[in-house]
Amino acid sequence: MLLEYATPLTFIALGAIFAYSFYAVLIAGQLSLGQAGFASVAAFSAAALAPSGNDVGEVPALLIAVAIGMTLGALAAVVLGLPTMHLRGVFLAIATLGFAEAVRVVLLNSEWTGGAQGLAVPRILTVGMAWIALAVVAYWFWRMGRSRYGRALEAIREDELAARSMGIDVGRHRLAAFVTAGAVAGLYGVLFAYYVRLIAPGDFDFAAAVEGLVTAVVGGSTMFLGPLLGSGFQTMIPELQRAVGVEAGWIRPFLASLLLLVVILFLPGGLASLLPRRTRLPAASGDGNGAGDGNRPSHLAARRHPAAGETVVTLVGLGKEYGGVHAVRDVDLEVRSGEVVGLIGPNGAGKTTLVNMISGLVPPSSGRATVLGVPVGRTPVHKVAAAGVSRTFQHSKLFNRLSALENVLVGAHLVSRPTFLRRLLWLPSARRDEQAALEQAARCLHRVGLADAAGTRASALSYGDQRRLEIARALASEPSLLILDEPAAGMNHVEASTLSALIRSLAADGLTILFIEHNVGMVLETCTRVVVLNFGEVIASGTPQDIASDPAVIEAYLGTEDDEPVTGSVAEGTLADPTGGSAEVMAADSVANVRPGAADTLEPPDTTPRNAS
Amino acid sequence: MRTKLTTVAAATAATVILASCGSGDGDGGGDAAAERTGEGTGDSCTIEGAVPIGAVLSLTGAAASYGESQQRGLELAAEQLAEKGGVTYDLTIEDDQTDPRQGITLFDQFVSQDVSLIIGPTLSNAAVQADPIAQEAGVPVLGISNTAAGVTEIGDYIFRNSLTESAVIPQTIAKATEEYGLENVVVMYSNDDAFTESGYEAFADALEDEGVEVAEEIRFSKSDTDFRALLTQAQESDPDALVVSALIEAAIPLVTQARELGIDVPIIGGNGFNNPRLMADAGDAAEGVVVGAAWNSSSDNPENQAFLKDFEAKYDARPDQFAAQAYAGLMLVDQAVRANCSADREDIKAALGELEDIPTVLGEFSIDENRDAVHPAVVQVVQDGAFAVLE
Repeated sequence: MLLEYATPLTFIALGAIFAYSFYAVLIAGQLSLGQAGFASVAAFSAAALAPSGNDVGEVPALLIAVAIGMTLGALAAVVLGLPTMHLRGVFLAIATLGFAEAVRVVLLNSEWTGGAQGLAVPRILTVGMAWIALAVVAYWFWRMGRSRYGRALEAIREDELAARSMGIDVGRHRLAAFVTAGAVAGLYGVLFAYYVRLIAPGDFDFAAAVEGLVTAVVGGSTMFLGPLLGSGFQTMIPELQRAVGVEAGWIRPFLASLLLLVVILFLPGGLASLLPRRTRLPAASGDGNGAGDGNRPSHLAARRHPAAGETVVTLVGLGKEYGGVHAVRDVDLEVRSGEVVGLIGPNGAGKTTLVNMISGLVPPSSGRATVLGVPVGRTPVHKVAAAGVSRTFQHSKLFNRLSALENVLVGAHLVSRPTFLRRLLWLPSARRDEQAALEQAARCLHRVGLADAAGTRASALSYGDQRRLEIARALASEPSLLILDEPAAGMNHVEASTLSALIRSLAADGLTILFIEHNVGMVLETCTRVVVLNFGEVIASGTPQDIASDPAVIEAYLGTEDDEPVTGSVAEGTLADPTGGSAEVMAADSVANVRPGAADTLEPPDTTPRNAS
Repeated sequence: MRTKLTTVAAATAATVILASCGSGDGDGGGDAAAERTGEGTGDSCTIEGAVPIGAVLSLTGAAASYGESQQRGLELAAEQLAEKGGVTYDLTIEDDQTDPRQGITLFDQFVSQDVSLIIGPTLSNAAVQADPIAQEAGVPVLGISNTAAGVTEIGDYIFRNSLTESAVIPQTIAKATEEYGLENVVVMYSNDDAFTESGYEAFADALEDEGVEVAEEIRFSKSDTDFRALLTQAQESDPDALVVSALIEAAIPLVTQARELGIDVPIIGGNGFNNPRLMADAGDAAEGVVVGAAWNSSSDNPENQAFLKDFEAKYDARPDQFAAQAYAGLMLVDQAVRANCSADREDIKAALGELEDIPTVLGEFSIDENRDAVHPAVVQVVQDGAFAVLE
């Protein structure tokens, strides 16, 4: 019974393996069309180099061919990947397509490949072997899904910059994904060759690459079963049309394309989105939820914070120039461990540029900066993060298609151990490490008050919750220096007050915190020190009390009234309110959002649900 | 949205079920095997059940233009055989989409449906991939357009009625050398197609055998359409003729542009030129093109005259060599079935191997000991918008 379907079943398996080679990079957000080239290199080399089945037995011959093919596929991916990994999106697609085309032309013009007439290969592959190979590949991607490595790839796909700031070495991960794609494509090439008996360079052309990509996308590129579903769909359509008696000819490709269009239109997540997806929730083991701050499990690499008073950030004459415009000019600043430093200033004062330089995202044009012993500017972002810097962004940079919990798990990248290889072997230690990471993530979610939203997609959270989720994600890496860029934007005063309490409790844990905030009342209440920036320069630095009465600060806020009505109202509300008493009174009283008039000019609180897609 | 998803899922499920029903029907064909022998011989042979024949053609994809011609030839033959009576054929034509995976799947399917014989596939490389399946299962295959060497070497169940390139091309070169006194030629071919590349190899061997000097070899891609630069390059060698191995899609612009550039020497084409579209699309430029062919379209043997008339009546178009070979193919299968009055696979295999001097549209036809076709080839030249025998 099953034997009757042996051929289509074999092609489903082969198609799925090829689609996995696209899945391998799509999951990391890379669009590559070079897989046909890898498959081609692998298939021809393996067919030419592997010993004949008559000498060593058929299965060993196939295994040797597979080993040759996967190795060469992976090597080709390294060779192509090293110069192209910095390319994104369509540029990478074009570069890799060029590679595949070059391979095709070279093989076409080589003697040993038989040129256009192809190379004869014995048929060794059986339907059983094809499905075993598919099972191994699918297993690989299944176990990868919930490992630290798999999460890192997904994070890169969702937001590369945020992934970098969470300490993920994006270049290395992207190359690893690309090499995996090369090896899997090589496997496909060899298995294909040992099934169809004759391979020609034309079998691995642009159309083949596009078909592989379409299979992966139709199946779903975010779930490991996607390529299998896609291949089943693509392979069965002609079979079904034959079975129901659609006459051969143009009508069949037309119907097949139509069906494809329907799937793409109505199932943007691919066929895999029809499958129920288990959302992972933190283990309800109590200690994750209830215990809060204190008891940290020993599996995670606990970070030792610098002792209170040690220098955390040193900026000397730091400046940033954009084509003659000085965003930041000659800033000298020292932040010591345990401090809570608030960075305020009118819009465009250079606050975000300054923290971008401190967190390594933007190299300074002049001066130097040392953060936690790392010279930033010359150090890649993920190394700065590894030194203990964690941050949130002015505009939330969450991993939108991941759940809140998964977002925080990515945040824990630096403090958790790699689990992928151990997950492949089902080692209990991997499970323990994953559990520890989960508990850590749950604790961070709980700390910002989002424990109930763990399973919700980040994009479906309210604006305020998204800001809090970003803080939880930043906390998960157990940073020594936490940088928050306008954390209270979009929060009401009750939420802002809770946030203020959270920041102070974090400081009590030994974290150093640097944050930008427009809510001056909150800054004054929360910080141990306030730094005021105007036109890229530090105009004041001191305790909240000093700052509140500093004439230069008042001048900066009031003086910009003409072109900065927003901050003008802030200043009026907080610092120069003739009836509302002094700023200290305000601050002591409550953390109020004192910018009612500013709401429309700042980034508006996003109340529309983001799950529209 | 949700209901739509459910609909898609339901549709998928429904089609899967239909698929299993569909192949269930195929199994039913197995019962017919017992009824595949009849009584009488030759024209008086009568077989009770319809003889199942599968045909794998490239009806879509790169080779679609050939497959469509073949489909017409087969359908015309099937129609005429049905009228003749005695033995009826259940001819199933399937499309391999010019995709090796589909070709293999279809051969597998026909084998499991227990057909008496498989016709096809259109392309030689598909034959190398798919024919072994029939060979292993003991199902005879008749190739109707496979011209590459080695196809019938796959096994003793594999036959073809198409002359190989090594049968046609040496004759073409010999005839043209004699006619035009060729001494020095330029060879042009597309090197990214299995068919044209093997055609080139046959040309190169034949030219060497005839002692014709090749001034230059110029390669292009089968998808090229602008040959002016290459033709200018060829012109510099001042050749006595251009020898071109290309598919018809490239042949038409190549010939047209050659004449535009003032190259008025004969253009000797491979099998790909063997298409009425050459005269239709290239017009006057096609005059003087020499093509070796397995089928002489102007042959006045009665089978051919009847075929031309019937084909034009049915399709309102002129047949090409692929249609003629397909038509001849099914007629030969009928001969083989009637020879032993049996549609049993082994009997057909035996009878095919013994075909000798059968009058067909291709001329007197025999199968040699290598299961390859033997029949007169013809060298044609385009004259007044039609192929004429080069004499």
